[in-house]
Amino acid sequence: MKKEFQFLGKDFPRKEGRARANGFEKYPSDLYFDNMLYGRILRSPYPHARIKSIDFSEAEKLGAVCVSYEDAPGKRFNLRLVSVPKATYKDWQLFSDHMRQVGDFFGAVAAETEELAEQAARVVKVEWEILPAYMSMDAALAAKDNLIHDKVFLEDQEIKIKNNIACTREVVEGDIEAGFQEADVIVETEFETPRQYHCQLEPRSCVVRPEADGGITVWPTTQAVHNTRILIGSVFNLPLNKVNVVRITGGGHFGSGIHTNPVTLITTALALKSKRPVKIVQSREEDMYDHVRYPSKYVLKVGARKDGTLVAGHMRAYIDIGCHHIQALAYLGVMSGFWHSLYRMENMKYEGTAVYTNKVPTCAMQGYGAPQVTFGVEGTMDMLAEKLEIDPIQLRIKNYVGLGEVFWGQGPTVKSPIFSDGVVELLKKGAESIGYYKRPGSQKQTGRYRRGIGFARGFHTSGTGAPVPGEVKDYTTVQVKVNEDGTIDILTALMDHGGGTLDAAAKIVAEEFQVPFDKVGISPADTRSTGYDVCTHATRGVYCGAGAAHEVAKKTKDVLLEYAARYLDAYPDSLIFSYDEKSGQTRISVWGNPEKTTTIAAVAEHAMNKDWGTAIYSKSIRKVACPPAYTNYFVEVEVDTETGHVKILRVVAGSDAGTVINPILAKGQLHGGFYRGAGMALLENTSYDDKTGCLTNKGSMIDYKMLGIDEMPDPDDFEVIFADTYEPTGPMGAKGIGEAAFNPAPAAVTSAICDAIGIRFTKLPILPEDIMDALGEGHDK
Amino acid sequence: MENQLYELTVYVNDKAVRGKVRAEKTLLDFLREHNFTEVKKGCDNGDCGACTVIMDGLAALSCSTTALQAEGRRVYTVKSLGSWEKLHPLQEAFVKHEAVQCGFCSPGFLMTAKALLDNNPMPSRNEIRDAISGNLCRCTGYVKIVDAIEDAASAIEEVSREA
Repeated sequence: MKKEFQFLGKDFPRKEGRARANGFEKYPSDLYFDNMLYGRILRSPYPHARIKSIDFSEAEKLGAVCVSYEDAPGKRFNLRLVSVPKATYKDWQLFSDHMRQVGDFFGAVAAETEELAEQAARVVKVEWEILPAYMSMDAALAAKDNLIHDKVFLEDQEIKIKNNIACTREVVEGDIEAGFQEADVIVETEFETPRQYHCQLEPRSCVVRPEADGGITVWPTTQAVHNTRILIGSVFNLPLNKVNVVRITGGGHFGSGIHTNPVTLITTALALKSKRPVKIVQSREEDMYDHVRYPSKYVLKVGARKDGTLVAGHMRAYIDIGCHHIQALAYLGVMSGFWHSLYRMENMKYEGTAVYTNKVPTCAMQGYGAPQVTFGVEGTMDMLAEKLEIDPIQLRIKNYVGLGEVFWGQGPTVKSPIFSDGVVELLKKGAESIGYYKRPGSQKQTGRYRRGIGFARGFHTSGTGAPVPGEVKDYTTVQVKVNEDGTIDILTALMDHGGGTLDAAAKIVAEEFQVPFDKVGISPADTRSTGYDVCTHATRGVYCGAGAAHEVAKKTKDVLLEYAARYLDAYPDSLIFSYDEKSGQTRISVWGNPEKTTTIAAVAEHAMNKDWGTAIYSKSIRKVACPPAYTNYFVEVEVDTETGHVKILRVVAGSDAGTVINPILAKGQLHGGFYRGAGMALLENTSYDDKTGCLTNKGSMIDYKMLGIDEMPDPDDFEVIFADTYEPTGPMGAKGIGEAAFNPAPAAVTSAICDAIGIRFTKLPILPEDIMDALGEGHDK
Repeated sequence: MENQLYELTVYVNDKAVRGKVRAEKTLLDFLREHNFTEVKKGCDNGDCGACTVIMDGLAALSCSTTALQAEGRRVYTVKSLGSWEKLHPLQEAFVKHEAVQCGFCSPGFLMTAKALLDNNPMPSRNEIRDAISGNLCRCTGYVKIVDAIEDAASAIEEVSREA
């Protein structure tokens, strides 16, 4: 049930909006410092090779500063520090002589101008020993020698790699053999999802400036300033109070900045060696060789009773992780978790294998493992519904994990109970709005253009908090301060990626103090001035991050109440805050004593003049749950049976985000999430030339192919429905939205295509040529 | 690489900007090196539209224009639209409709939209979609951008009617 709020639930233009619209916002690639050098990264043209020697002499003649594996610290690490050390495989080094993908980095140069740096990079001479490349999982698994990694470290324990298997994970609940014996119907299908590229508009970049005290200041494209600081400190043996990482707006992340990008470490190496500020802005092509979504290939077997009860499930997954670990163990864990938490299943077994190949290293992208898993699980639910002759929506309602149950979306070590659930409401409203039960279906249509309506549901965890510690770190540190004029400042390393995370924190604090939104500011932040924040990922921004701001605001309010009580000669518990719209002031009054009243500003100023102090508080807050933000999409498409082109006609999005902080921004999350999810369904993939190991898109955004504005429905044909829910553990009833907005989108588009032409695709993306092939052959693909 | 340097003057946001460039220097790099960093580099390849400026009244990709091609010409960046205190109606609409998320593509979209409205003050929704189809946005799914440009066109029209 929704509560009445003064500011929440109403649209306020975001605080950063003006600076971003008038061109004043600075991104890492925009920074300039006196005496700055420009860097270029030296990269392998081969997918698998060893460097016999490097000759920098010509580059040095041009005045370039050069770094390579020859002067690298050698330490092994993982770029992503979200998991705890005992669950972290380390296979990265800052520069190595072993090149594991086209575009792998072995060194870098820095020079006075971009042109000179480019010239210097070109004259570095390298002698290569070319090794056999493994461009597929089959090839990699068959390999006995010349492995992509011979050994890696799990925390500090050395592990010998066999057959290029990076790691495995098994999760079992109940007894699947007994479970499948109870099944009346079993569906077993192989699903495959693509290596989607984040394609954030700003390529990953970094600026590092050495400081007079021997430290450095770092402006990276990152979602995780504190983890970046910790990694730099560890790789370069720098004390952490000498590494200051600044929170700066990035031009989009979508998960590509949860780990520290190699460019950040490389820029640091050049700055430390040259003792001058260094900037590296990667080209789009370099960025495409830098990061990509985990693809997934898995066989999913699910059994159900005649009445639709699911009894057993078995998932066997092989993940082509590319040439490095960016915490693939965590990825395997969340695959099991997202699957297990979509539908109740007493007996389940997950077996995941992560395989190294000579490709771009895979990392989180919006949804992490959820879109991949949801695609197969929702497809399977549709197939079961068909076999059992049960309405697909009713089958979901019967089996979904909801209110009062325990779920573990972020893997088996993150179990938490569910306190709010808008699933049934959203499915019913969505079905009605799009006319789900009035759809003609594929059988009744002839002619070139066929229409279909499909749907899928899913969720994302709001963060990775849980009642007990697990493999994932999750907390945020916040300071809230009341200024002497009654305005408020929030200081935290929490990041906004464009979705309005920091605005949400400001709005919640405004609501708590009953002060207008424009009186709450977000302070600039860096790692020296803030406590640890794990990073903005896992849809934790509002629930965990803004949630932490809310908890701290309450503590700050307690300090202010003490001062106000002294000032008004009353007891803190008798004071009430109220916002007076006419005067624009927030009053503090003693109940039953209307003459005893003052304002926040007067109390704060008085407390300063009397030397009582500032109303200020700082604390680290861990949320002890991670409630599911449920989403569903109903989609209508039109398939051109002569070209295979799919047009998205209409979308009805349903979102259970608890209290909606800022409706227009929340809608924006659904528009964007659907757009990228539909792209994963219809278009987006990165493929390789097996002979050269190069990306076939050659680093071009156009050749990568994303949906454009022409492929998105008209604004009038994109409806958003918010569930009427209140999350009791959340800040003022809120939970997350970001990744939940993506997760069911690919499955929903696939389901709509199936409804239009009667063919169920189990491999993404579904390209026009795939549709034409399937129509020609007349069977599922 | 040819090492010959050419002197040039480009009138950026109505101010003369002088420099010496190699023939292959793009207008994008020239502008960014002269601190017009509001012109963004998303691809350097003509793919994304983040570097869009207005040159002689038309939207132009500054990454696909050499600096020398802009010699003596008038180039406008997003900073020419409004001031810190008073945004242009297009910028107001982008802020109000939350058409700005990470904001990296926004300067390019705004300049494409400005060129559209200068030449076609009341475009249809399809004309808006056509005009901005060369600009990529990874955050918004384009829905709010179309809303914002439509709204801005009406706002500008209203102001000019009153005047």
